[in-house]
Amino acid sequence: MRVLLVAAAVAAAALPTSAFAVDYLSADQAARLMFPEADAFEQRSLGLDAAQLQQLDAQGVRARSASWTVRVARKAGLALGFVVADEVIGKTELISYAVGIALDGSVRQVEILSYRESHGFEIRLPAWRRQFVGKGAGSPLRVGEDIANISGATLSCNHVTDGVRRIVAVLALLRRAGGLA
Amino acid sequence: MTLAATGPAWRRRARPLLGTLVEVGLCSPRDAAPTSLESALEPAFDAAFEAILAVQACLSRFDAASDISHFHALPCGGAMAMRPATRQVLTAAAQLQQASGGLFDISLGTAPDGWHLDGDVLRKVRAPVRLDLGGIAKGHAVDCAVQALMAHGCRAGWVNAGGDLRAFGDVSLPVHLRDEASGGVRPFATLHEGAFASSHFGAAARMALFTADARPPSQRQVSVAAPLCLWADALTKVVALSGNAAAPLLARYQAVAWCH
Repeated sequence: MRVLLVAAAVAAAALPTSAFAVDYLSADQAARLMFPEADAFEQRSLGLDAAQLQQLDAQGVRARSASWTVRVARKAGLALGFVVADEVIGKTELISYAVGIALDGSVRQVEILSYRESHGFEIRLPAWRRQFVGKGAGSPLRVGEDIANISGATLSCNHVTDGVRRIVAVLALLRRAGGLA
Repeated sequence: MTLAATGPAWRRRARPLLGTLVEVGLCSPRDAAPTSLESALEPAFDAAFEAILAVQACLSRFDAASDISHFHALPCGGAMAMRPATRQVLTAAAQLQQASGGLFDISLGTAPDGWHLDGDVLRKVRAPVRLDLGGIAKGHAVDCAVQALMAHGCRAGWVNAGGDLRAFGDVSLPVHLRDEASGGVRPFATLHEGAFASSHFGAAARMALFTADARPPSQRQVSVAAPLCLWADALTKVVALSGNAAAPLLARYQAVAWCH
């Protein structure tokens, strides 16, 4: 084991840090990992109407958005399952993730697409979040970048867990309504 | 010279596990074509995440099928067989409980002497005992994931379970500390062939420490480096409770601690 401490002067000079960011996968890469047998992914934009939003509400799920983009994984034209990408905001972190869902509605896999650590106050500012629009979820991986890791109090992933639950509920609703063939 | 300095291609994956984000980083084969990189490393990534899931399935008190849930359902005086991960973590917990004079207590005060290990058998000695492995299991899960990666022939990489992390092979991993008060991160150290864990104990902290006399921990934010992540994770709690008094214990586990 070898631990080399960063000199105090360097650590002090590094404050305040800019956003700590990692891109893991694009949504397309995640979709291919989750459904490697697929030969095509059809991207569909689907909307929930007021009645559907009320149904979700009755289930205790806050839909948060009426419009959802779903990737339908297909092989020889037949649907294999679905992939939905989404993002959630925590106390100091912005997390993009993708959920792979099988035809029976069960969760096949969850992959984190990108992670952004902010100073606590920035995370709620639209301007801070806007700088990442179009990155992570759609951009190619950056290779050979900083491999730094964060240690600290254990980060809760409750927001991601809630997000996965929301996506499962939204997809179940869309399937029942015949919106996903 | 380390791989980090020579600029190899690193691949990282992260999944929500153990109630936090678990990241795995691996060095790509240098000679592989870019298109084959992902497929070549994918079985190793999967094996690491599966190893963590297996530990979670044994030890999570939120999983009704876990060994811990089975233990809670036992009548007083009952005994049960344990899966290997449970035996390893409970053996370490018993050892640390004894070595720390009872400061490390996975029963969180419900009955420190309420459970007993008898080889591969776990006995419930006192009825009120409840076990919570939140202070040690994450570290063991990281160790198991690292073992799985090495078994897959990975030469270098790391596993980070929400801040409890371990680096293996020829990599010097920069470790940043999160500022728990105001957010943001600052560079703290580089880690080579070892584990590093941090815990934060405060009003808004996710984890509270149990103390027999309800006194607050003497240290608010503690980091520990150790060869194994299990010890790094568990020792943060002992150091938070005992401060400098933990020095002999740290030496015993070849660990180093920092109070921030």
